[in-house]
Amino acid sequence: MDRGFFSNVELRTPGGRLYYALAVITLLVIAVFSLFPFFFALTSGLKDSTEIFAGGLNLLPNIPRWENYGRAWTLFEMPRLFGNSFLIVGVGVVLRLLVSAAAAFSLSKLKPFGGRIISLGFMLTLLIPSIAYFVPLYTTIAKLPVVNISLLNSYWGLWLPYCVDAFSIFVLKTFFDRIPGDLIDSARVDGANALDMLMYIIIPLSRSILVVLAVLAFVGLWKDFLLPYLVLTDPYTQPITVRLFYIADDYSVNLQMAASFMALLPPLVIAILLQRYMKIGLTLGGVKG
Amino acid sequence: MNAPYALDTELAAPTKKHRQPIKLSNLRAALPRQLTAYLFLLPALATFALFAWMPIVNSIQMSFQDVQLGGTATWAGLDNFELMLRDPVFGIAWKNSLEFASWSLLLGYFVPVVIAILVREMRHGKAFFRVVYFLPTVVPAAVSVIIWRFIYDPDGGVLNEVLAQFGIARQLWLQDVGLAKPALVAVMTWAGFGTTALIYLASLQDVSQELFEAAELDGATPFQRIIHISLPHLYPVMSLMFVLQVIAVVQVFTEPFLLTNGGPGRETLTPAMNIYTRAFIRMDMGYASAWSVTMILVLLVFSIIYRVVNRKLSANAD
Repeated sequence: MDRGFFSNVELRTPGGRLYYALAVITLLVIAVFSLFPFFFALTSGLKDSTEIFAGGLNLLPNIPRWENYGRAWTLFEMPRLFGNSFLIVGVGVVLRLLVSAAAAFSLSKLKPFGGRIISLGFMLTLLIPSIAYFVPLYTTIAKLPVVNISLLNSYWGLWLPYCVDAFSIFVLKTFFDRIPGDLIDSARVDGANALDMLMYIIIPLSRSILVVLAVLAFVGLWKDFLLPYLVLTDPYTQPITVRLFYIADDYSVNLQMAASFMALLPPLVIAILLQRYMKIGLTLGGVKG
Repeated sequence: MNAPYALDTELAAPTKKHRQPIKLSNLRAALPRQLTAYLFLLPALATFALFAWMPIVNSIQMSFQDVQLGGTATWAGLDNFELMLRDPVFGIAWKNSLEFASWSLLLGYFVPVVIAILVREMRHGKAFFRVVYFLPTVVPAAVSVIIWRFIYDPDGGVLNEVLAQFGIARQLWLQDVGLAKPALVAVMTWAGFGTTALIYLASLQDVSQELFEAAELDGATPFQRIIHISLPHLYPVMSLMFVLQVIAVVQVFTEPFLLTNGGPGRETLTPAMNIYTRAFIRMDMGYASAWSVTMILVLLVFSIIYRVVNRKLSANAD
């Protein structure tokens, strides 16, 4: 049976019951703190613009004004902002996984000369905080070397830097290393080329870890602020995280709250629906078995 | 852009391979295979080179240069670093970082440990608590600051209203010199504690139940079982989390940038914000790079010290 430091028998004693009750209360109090900003944004978004500043502890609106959400949806031009965000993040996730899977497959199964040195090069980027090389990263995006193309105000200026993720490469490589080499060899005998092996053997076998990395990448890229803020100066192309903050002040607070709550929903829904994968993803790097 | 657990080198370390002697005949046979191998590596190599390796080298190079707006750079030796050390902002920003780190450890370091130990004990609703604590971590800072600045709002903000119920006077949370830092750290803690708690919880699930049973038979109280079994099991992860938390706080940018813009005065100005201001507002990229290199060095020294201390401690424990 599942037990912690308390056995199930001890939990039925008065002391055990008291402890358990206190633990539940503590956890619930922390849960209230954790959820409060979500709840606060949702209900503040339902108040009218005088009620929201009425003072006192009236957390719930007198009359919930759901029409605020409709107004915020059109005033903040949410469809376009969501569309931009989904396009930036969606393509970013797919490209990151493709680039990382191809690299991990090569390092794991194709044994390139100098693979160890290349791995060290990838690893280096995990040790250096990205804010520390952010300035030259921006100048590179503003003017790509040799070809002299500027990626400013282009989604490629985000998609290409988003491909750089050593964490995904190493997680995938560790996973691919566990796929038996015999499978690859027998496919080779049957005349499969490297692309076939990746597409028809490796990727189908690693679907679960790919979903884990995709969820992590989605949430991570949806949160990104500084890079899209600097790369996309045209308001029509900006993702929701960048645009919302800058137009928020033009509208009343209740509409700001309604818009913020709607902006939180996509990562929130993903985190709730795919919590199993998120949990695996979070503990991938943090805990070593 | 980086994954949250940026320093996990052990996971990332390449596996040792048995080296085979290279022969010319092998080489010719291997050539097509090597070409394919590099073809698959090419997209990663190209993007890493353009958007990570080159910028890292450039950052170091530019810190020794005077970079003009048009892109022309002249060698400036250590001028940028001398200027930086004489800049009063240097002391202020790093002192702020240190205070941020202290506040963040004070407010947020032990809470996840307690949460993990308590949730581990739950017989029902484990999944519920896991999700609830985890939700704030997926919220973009740029959105959460809109909500938080209204929570902190001096007139009508809910925090002041709650405190008013207990007879506590209104506070200017984000404008008060003494309160701005802890108020910001509270936002960061809210956004981050769930991840850490989940990592501790996952680690606690590995404690074998037989250990607790044996301790119980030997007469250890539940509290002693926490002290002597649960906590020692968490120490290695806790020390890793200590480093990761400090590293994350030192790099912090978005929250102070959007919530207080460094204010009041320069109370919440961080090194990362100063890099941004110098490079993109004042267009002095050489000087900003000197700050970047300093940040790399500070974090490097910090993680080396951590490694040495950690090795000493674990050597003593054996």
